[in-house]
This record gives sequence, C-alpha cells and structure tokens, in this order.
Amino acid sequence: MKIKVCGLKYSKNIKELTQLPVDYAGFIFYPKSPRYVGEEFEAAIPALFPKSTRKVGVFVNEELDVLLVKGEKYKLDAMQLHGGESVEYCQKVKEAGFEVIKAFQMNDSFQFNSLDEYENVCDFYLFDTKTENYGGSGRKFNWKVLENYKGSTPFFLSGGIGAQDAEQIKQLSHDKLYALDLNSGFELQPAKKNADQLEIFLNKLELNTMNKDKYAVDERGYYGEFGGAYIPELLRKNVDELQENYLKILASEQFKKDYARLLDNYVGRPTPLTKAGNLSKRYGTNIYLKREDLTHTGAHKINNTIGQILLAKYMGKKRIIAETGAGQHGVATATVCALFGLECIVYMGALDVERQAPNVARMKMLGAKVVPAISGNQTLKDATNEAIRDWIANPESFYLIGSVVGPHPYPDLVTRLQSIISKEIREQLEKETGNPNPNYVIACVGGGSNAAGAFYHYLNEKDVNLVAVEASGLGVDSGETAATITIGDIGFIHGSKTMLMQDEDGQITEPYSISAGLDYPGVGPLHAHLAVSGRAQFLSATDDEALNAAKVLAESEGIIPALESAHALAALEKIQFKNDDVVVLNLSGRGDKDMETYMKKFN
Amino acid sequence: MNRIDQLFQNKQKDILSIYFPAGYPKLEDTLPTLQLLQAKGVDLVEIGIPFSDPLADGPVIQSAAKQALDNGMSLQLLFDQLKDARKTIKIPLILMGYWNTVYKFGVDAFLTECQNVGIDGVILPDLPLEEYQEEYKVKFEAAGVHNVLLVTPQTTDKRLAIIEKAASGFLYMVSTAATTGGALQASKEREAYFKKIAALDIPSLIGFGIHDKASFQHAASFSNGAIIGTAFIKALEKGNTSEFLESLQ
Repeated sequence: MKIKVCGLKYSKNIKELTQLPVDYAGFIFYPKSPRYVGEEFEAAIPALFPKSTRKVGVFVNEELDVLLVKGEKYKLDAMQLHGGESVEYCQKVKEAGFEVIKAFQMNDSFQFNSLDEYENVCDFYLFDTKTENYGGSGRKFNWKVLENYKGSTPFFLSGGIGAQDAEQIKQLSHDKLYALDLNSGFELQPAKKNADQLEIFLNKLELNTMNKDKYAVDERGYYGEFGGAYIPELLRKNVDELQENYLKILASEQFKKDYARLLDNYVGRPTPLTKAGNLSKRYGTNIYLKREDLTHTGAHKINNTIGQILLAKYMGKKRIIAETGAGQHGVATATVCALFGLECIVYMGALDVERQAPNVARMKMLGAKVVPAISGNQTLKDATNEAIRDWIANPESFYLIGSVVGPHPYPDLVTRLQSIISKEIREQLEKETGNPNPNYVIACVGGGSNAAGAFYHYLNEKDVNLVAVEASGLGVDSGETAATITIGDIGFIHGSKTMLMQDEDGQITEPYSISAGLDYPGVGPLHAHLAVSGRAQFLSATDDEALNAAKVLAESEGIIPALESAHALAALEKIQFKNDDVVVLNLSGRGDKDMETYMKKFN
Repeated sequence: MNRIDQLFQNKQKDILSIYFPAGYPKLEDTLPTLQLLQAKGVDLVEIGIPFSDPLADGPVIQSAAKQALDNGMSLQLLFDQLKDARKTIKIPLILMGYWNTVYKFGVDAFLTECQNVGIDGVILPDLPLEEYQEEYKVKFEAAGVHNVLLVTPQTTDKRLAIIEKAASGFLYMVSTAATTGGALQASKEREAYFKKIAALDIPSLIGFGIHDKASFQHAASFSNGAIIGTAFIKALEKGNTSEFLESLQ
C-alpha cells in the first residue's frame, strides 16, 4: 500500500517527512483551502522530496492553462482533480503528461457506475468524504460503501484518516485499494504535519520501510541534517569520482576477498573481546573490552587504511595524501603505503611533529614523507587543511582520510570500513553470552571513527545504549576543551555540515585535550546526528579523569590503554550499571605512544 | 541594475578585478584600499571575509586572513566599515568568503546587510551549487545579490552545463588546479579550457596565478578580464600598492 501525504507547504516540515516513505506528496493549489500553498510558494519546496516521491498538485475546477503552468513550475508528476472536472478535462491533463487522480465524494448512496466514463482517462480515483466544500472535512465516510466499487481503476482512500485507524485499515481487503491519503488527521496545524505521529502510524501498518536505515547516510551524504559535501568546485571532480566508485568497489567480490584476507593475516583480526573481570567487579557489572589495541600498528586506524588503500589501488591512484594528529593515522597510512608500494605524504601540524616524535620517526622509517603544517595553530585541523590543499593542487592523488569526517562519501566510507569492529562484537558476544546485543557500547569520540565502527551494527537496535565520550580537556567550561557536542553548534568544517567549536563570528576555535587523537574542533556528521536525534548519549571526560581511568585499567587488567581510549574508560565512573548489564567498551588503541604523558603524571 | 551586470554591459575586454582581505594590513584599511582601487581604474573589487580555515587559499592569503582576524576583523565589522562606502565607491563590490562565516551570521541578515551597504555579488567557494539552489537561490535573487560560481580545469562538461545554467553575474574561471597564489604556466590544454569557457553565454574572469601585467594580458586575451589577489596582497604588505596597480596599466 502506498502513502500519500497531502496538504504540504513548509520546507522544514517537508524535510522531516523525507525521513519517511512518502510515495505521493500533495500540494493544494485551491485558494479556498486552509492548506493552500499560497501565491509565493517556492518551486524548490516540492523538490525537497526525492525523485521517488511523486509530487501531486491538488486543484478544484481550475482553468486548464493555470493548472498546466503550475505543473510546469513546480515539476508536478500528478494532478488530483477535486472538483467537478469533466472527462474531457481529465483527458487534456493526461495528454499534457500528468498522472490523473480524480477525486469523488462518497456517501452511503454513492453510485459507482457514475465513474464508468472516467475509467480510461484516469490513472487513479480518490474516494473522499462528501462535504459541502471540496474535501478537507477531517471526517471519514463509511468504508463499507467501498464494497460496491467493482471498477478496475485503483483508488486512494481519503477523508479524515487518523492515527487511531491503523487497525481498521489493516482489515480492509479491497483489491483496488492502492494508497492512503493522509492529511488533517496527522497535523499540528493546517499544512504542518506531525512527522512523529505519521512514523508511528506507518510502523503500525508495517509500511515504514525506511525505519531500518534511519541512521544510514542518504544519497547526498546526509545523516539527518548533517553531512553533505561542502567543498570548493576545485575538489568537485575528485569527490564525485569517489562518490561514484566507493560503494561499487566495496561491494565487489575482489575487494571483499582482499580486505578480509588483509584484516585476517596482516592486521591480526578478529581482535579478542576480553572479559575484564576485575574491572567488572569494581563497577558491579559485566564489562567486555574490544581489543583494537591488539591490531597491527596498535589502534583501530588500520582497519580504515587497509580498506582505503585497496580502494585507491582499484581506482589506479599512485600518490596518497593523509593528515594526522597524534600520528596514529599517519603511521597506519604509511604502513599500508609501504605494503602496496605507493608514495605517501602525511601532513602533520608542526606542533604535533614536535610533540609526537616517536610516531614521526615510525612514519619516516616506513618511507613516508612527513610535511609539517605551519598554518593556523599547527595541529590536526591545520594538517587537514593542508592535506585538502594538496589534494586541490594534485587532483590525481588519493586523499586517505583518517576519521568519519570530511565531505561525503568519506564519513560513510570510513564508517563502513570500521564497522568490522561491531560486526565482530556481535559474533563474539553471542558466543559468550548467547545474545549479540549488549546493554551498552561505549567508545571515545574525536572525529569519531572508532565509535562509528563500534556503534554501526547496533544503530537500529534500540535496546543497545550507545555512549560516546568526548574529551573535555580541563573541563567543558574551561575554554580548554574538545567537547564539540557539548559546547559546539552547527557549522561547516572540512567539507561537512556538523557540530563544530566556533566563536560568534563563525571562526573555528582551537580545541584542547591531553589526547592528541581527540583534539579536533568538529565531529563526524553521523555523531552529530546521533547526538541531536538522541540515539546516542554523549558524555565527556577531562584530562585527569582519563589519566586516572588509564591507571585503573593498567592496574586491574594489565592493559595500558591509549589516552583516547582512556576517555571511554572514564565514562565507567559516570554511568549507573546494573549487576546483570553487559557493557562493551571499545579499547581503540594501546598506550605505548602515551608513556611520556603517563610518566609525567604518575612518576 | 546590478553594478556587475552594468559593468559587463559597458565593458567586455580587459576587466581588472582585485581581491584583498577586509581589515588588512590594518583593521581600518578596508575603505581606503577600496578608494585607491577605484581611483586607479580597477573595474571590480572582491573583498575577502577573513576566515580561520581558508581551504582554497595559498600561504599569502592564509596569513593575510590570519592577520586580519588578529586585527579584530569580523563580518559584522566589515559591514560597519562599508556603511557609507557607496557615497564614494561606484564600482561593483563582491564579498568573497567561506560558507561557515555567512551561515553563522545568518543568511537573511547577511543579505539584508549586503543590500544596505551595496554589495553586488558574493563568491562562496564551498557552498555547493545544489545546496544553494535548493535553499538560498530565491533569497539571493530577491536581494539582488549575484552568487558567482567557479569553474575549474577539472570541471566536466556535464557539470559545466549545469553551472552555466545556474550562473549569475559572471563565471570565476579558476586557471589551474591549485590553491591561490601559484604561478600560471601556459599550455595548449589550458588555452583550450579558457576558450571553452569564454565561448559560453555568460561573461568570465580568470583567477588564480594572475600576478602581473603579462599574466593579466595573457589571461584577458581569452576572457573578459582577470582577477589578481595574492600579488596585490604582497603589494599591500610592502606598501607599494599604487606602483603595483600602475604597473598593470
């Protein structure tokens, strides 16, 4: 059964509805209707719906010329004729290339044989409640009368359908019932629909095909209102090329085989899911650690670089550009470039080059060229700017982004490549406990790639609480923080619309965290969406809380975590777990690189 | 009539456009620089809105933008500085900047200010055409502000057709795959690209890598004119703007 939502007008409202499977969107061009779109109605508004949604103009005894002009201007697909339009009129509308939906007003004595003459010119009928005016009564007619309709033209059922009618609609069994026409029964005010109520209704009717992919990226790279590709024209061709190819290549048998083989025998996957017994006792619950720290190069970053280097190879790219903050992604990129014999240029903020000397040495030993970024504050944000500038000047290169940030398709690409983490968690947890779903998944978030990977296969599992932990540095209100979701607002960074730390003039501000990997003023658009929609809970941990959590893990489980992962561990102090809760914490990396910081704190 | 349209109606060849960041080198330099440019016969000016993260710019414009920000420059201050500009400045004015600053300012407020101070167009390189058309085009048109679009050597023919249809004012023809401030090497392919864009129905100016009289004349021979940014900023830095502008004549 198809769904038509009728009486639309407002762009913001329509954007909400694009999250639902609306097959037909109705716009009322009858000036006497309270849902009349008005004289100033913008042509761009119906176009907010995807192509798959048919746009319907609703007219009442309108002059044909006027109707055709509106049809052209608003790119309408179908015309709903709601007055006493003749067969000839319908014929002309059809000849002009529109689908014709002819409305008829029902009462108990309606004579269906009066429709016979319309049979060959109308694509659909629409059966509405008979009123003094032309529909819009908000009342239902007696649906029993439909039993008398024996024609062959499929029909829309209209007139006062509301949320309470789901059960009765399920009982309807007319074989020509084609669509439901929903209007005043789902309104907050005339022409403003209640998207939540509609969603519940569609769920009840099991018509909500989109529900499953609520957190997936749409074809233009948006998660809800976040994402997109806000890039200069200079990068358009590069980004288009990647958008066109990435899904095809990721789905190819060759890629799947190569990726799985490398993850298995080069990265060392699957990584263990370790039951942390002492930690569990400490917090009075059941804590499992997903051991990304045990991968080759010591962090989850390699899952992504292995995948992207294969993508680069299949796309015939020879020169690889990357940005890095602490150097983990730089090392993971230099590693795969060495493995595949590709030229590797890593941009790293000049300040980070100084702070992270061991990783700079690793990259150099692996044959990469490390270019210090001397612009701005000389950290990750500036390294990313420089990498993008390099890409503008060298469009034949492949830009290997390290997190779920950047223009579409990068956030989706990196999320998919990191989703191996939650895929394994599900399998391992099911073996361990009999249930693939834990009560909590906890991960730290800078740009957000390890969290995206740990959350991915749980996004639509409502019983799993997703907890993202940002770095709040010296405290969220200290001015020295990287807690983007907590203190940021909507903006644009590195080609993506997302939550962002910025000043009142829209200048991007410098974040601070003791952990260089979380020291980013933006956050991946998926996470902005998870935060705003309430799907994930966002917490934050200060430098000190993270340092202490690292010590607790080291002493209780014999594992020294990366400072980034220590922020996730710090969240264990902030949540009230039940005894029988199952908690999975993504231990994204190991702590070797942070020993200097740890020594300063604890010695 | 929009001053940009008027300019291209009255003059088809050798149009000189100069780019400089607002509030540079000193905070209060914006208006005096505009007056100098007009006095020296510059046809069109692009005023840069300083931004912390100018992705498409090379080191010279980056550091000029940073200095302007350090001076205390902001979009609101720019509008304040331009409040009485139209009493003396008659040439068309364009604001060039990154989308985040405009979005944060508020698009409606931004356009109102543009109308108040007499801005004829904007160049917002990282606002995608599709988003512009769906969300903002109607508003920009109502405010009489052209959204000048970029084309580059990498722009495919298919995309060029879309851009041509959507273009208003003129096309900003990026000379080469680079950030701003590079050098422009002559080549057969580049000339073919210039000719292809020049043959379109909309006027075009060439920018990126234009830095002296020779490169200006070369570029202008393929289009309606050219844009100089980095080289002029260097002159601002050195304090020899008059000589620089005269050297272009």
